[in-house]
Amino acid sequence: MASLTIKNAVKRYGNVEVLKGVDIDLQDGEFLVLLGASGCGKSTLLNMIAGLESVTEGEISIGDRVINDVHPKDRDIAMVFQSYALYPNMTVAKNIAFGLEMRGVPKAERETAVLEVAKMLQMDHLLDRKPGQLSGGQRQRVAMGRALVRRPEVFLFDEPLSNLDAKLRLEMRTEIKRLHKRLNATMVYVTHDQIEALTLADRIAILKDGEVQQLASPAEIYDQPVNMFVAGLVGSPPMNFIKSKVTQADTGLVAEVSVLANGVEQPMLLDLSQQPADLTDWIGREVIVGLRPEAITQDGQGASFDSDIDVTEATGADTLCVLTWNGQEVMARVSSGYAQIIEGTMAFSIDMSRASLFDPKTEMRLS
Amino acid sequence: MSDQATFNQPRTGASIALRVLLWAVLIVFAIWFLLPAYVVVGTSLKGLEEIRGGSLLALPHELNFSSWRHAWSEACIGVNCTGLEPYFWNSVGMAIPSVIISTLLGALTGYSLTKFKFKGANLVFALILFGCFVPFQVVILPMAVTLGKIGITNTVYGLILVHSVYGMAFTTLFFRNYYVTIPDELVRAATIDGAGFFTIFRRIILPLSPPIIVVSVIWQFTQIWNDFLFGASFTTGGAQPIMVAMNNLVNTTTGVKQYNVDMAAALITAAPTIFVYIIAGRYFVRGLTAGSVKG
Ligand SMILES: Nc1ncnc2c1ncn2[C@@H]1O[C@H](COP(=O)(O)OP(=O)(O)O)[C@@H](O)[C@H]1O
Ligand SMILES: [Mg+2]
Repeated sequence: MASLTIKNAVKRYGNVEVLKGVDIDLQDGEFLVLLGASGCGKSTLLNMIAGLESVTEGEISIGDRVINDVHPKDRDIAMVFQSYALYPNMTVAKNIAFGLEMRGVPKAERETAVLEVAKMLQMDHLLDRKPGQLSGGQRQRVAMGRALVRRPEVFLFDEPLSNLDAKLRLEMRTEIKRLHKRLNATMVYVTHDQIEALTLADRIAILKDGEVQQLASPAEIYDQPVNMFVAGLVGSPPMNFIKSKVTQADTGLVAEVSVLANGVEQPMLLDLSQQPADLTDWIGREVIVGLRPEAITQDGQGASFDSDIDVTEATGADTLCVLTWNGQEVMARVSSGYAQIIEGTMAFSIDMSRASLFDPKTEMRLS
Repeated sequence: MSDQATFNQPRTGASIALRVLLWAVLIVFAIWFLLPAYVVVGTSLKGLEEIRGGSLLALPHELNFSSWRHAWSEACIGVNCTGLEPYFWNSVGMAIPSVIISTLLGALTGYSLTKFKFKGANLVFALILFGCFVPFQVVILPMAVTLGKIGITNTVYGLILVHSVYGMAFTTLFFRNYYVTIPDELVRAATIDGAGFFTIFRRIILPLSPPIIVVSVIWQFTQIWNDFLFGASFTTGGAQPIMVAMNNLVNTTTGVKQYNVDMAAALITAAPTIFVYIIAGRYFVRGLTAGSVKG
């Protein structure tokens, strides 16, 4: 097992800079998820780790060995591709064994290894089939098996679940998590699905236009996003952004918003006293208050206020209520028991300790 | 499609009439195109007396293969009265290696142009493609000089070289267009698995290639077997391929024109290409239209 270090990695195709200096340091056995929208450079970075793309500038090392110029086969990595890339002319067993065969592992040893991996992934009954005779989920398993059988230092996954239907995706997500625990291997996993990222990762690196926005644990990414891009990317429904002026009240600093209640706009003061940032410079200026829907919930704890409900959306356990603050839509999340009211006025409470404040100009978190 | 039409449309008088007309037109055209073939086969089976006495379209009285035997082993080509046999084997000895070499080279270049792209790969492909449009006549003189320098003028090896080089433009085009439909991720996966350029070619790409190999083999075999110009330009006498020999056989007149022998010679000459089409023809269209390989 080994650590993975990416130092100032730059990738250029001609004049186009696809990666603009990425720094990531990964502990031995850590599960890193690269999260970002399509085209932000996730696959490029993964391919650079694999050795399928050259590194324009910077340094990538596994353990303490710099691997910039090491051939992919000698990097001790395995990769699972989005399309699975199974060899169509070979049986499942041959597919899994191919990497071992290329490394000159004797036949008997190969067969044992293949059988062990097949059992681990519950596909020993599929070994004689060709990829064309398998379902999507089974192909996915074979692709995983092909990576597992070599016991590499680092596993690379490029959106491995994106071609599966929702139910299978959930199953395989759990399976990957289980495998990571069991093998305790270093893994880098690319996805554009924020829920996958939050559930699988030890740490998430959020990429945008070839730059890492934030590299942190899922909890930190979720609770303390460094900028509005990260805040908006992670979480569903996304964080509410409310523009509001900071003022000095008797109790401390507050942010003012107007809330539509009983058909009338009423002022409401959001308590900013629990914010760690020093806000004295911001008095009299506007900030963006970021509140996740679950921080606005049925009356109970925190400051309480009345608000008209525009629309409700039941999601099962919770119901989402659309409120109107400052003339904008704001999403609140309440337990479904409270939301019999389809339209009307209800009492809500806000947990301001979970609010994030952003600079409206730079969109960066205030800290 | 025609099944669908019959299912969906009620059988009105008009539609039946249309169908009858369609069949009638098709049958007329079929006869039109088959008639020359019928005349050639029929004439080759008749004796000279019968040809002179009867109609061109009359069926032969009996199956008389003597003119076939004559064309194969006795007819005079120039001054050598050996029949077509030695020239037939010349052509076999020329066509088979040329087909194999040009197909294999086409597969390799198509593979490297798509899966191991290098700087300027597209330019190289454009130049190779250009080779498809260079007429035979243009390359004759430089080729003659080249063959002379290497010292293989008037040999089967010379023709093998000419056909392999000239055919590569076409086979490369076939294989390149087929290989672009094979996902690059297969090659990437195999690279990580530790396979190199030739191992990936042999173990992964070639096993996916039979449809396009069939296309290439049929195309190349037909081209090379039917070639007259290169054969006539670069060989003389006993080293000539059958296509040239057949021409000389027909042109060598010793008194009476033996139409039956000429026809038999033409059929013997055409037989291998017809045979290849019968064996592999149905894979031909399938290979030309074959789409992407689904993992
Ligand atoms: N071979 C290439 N040549 C030029 N641009 C490329 C090449 N490969 C990828 N790109 C560009 O790099 C950017 C990142 O691509 P990629 O890493 O595949 O994105 P992601 O995997 O995050 O969707 C894209 O804008 C893409 O157009
Ligand atoms: Mg990608």
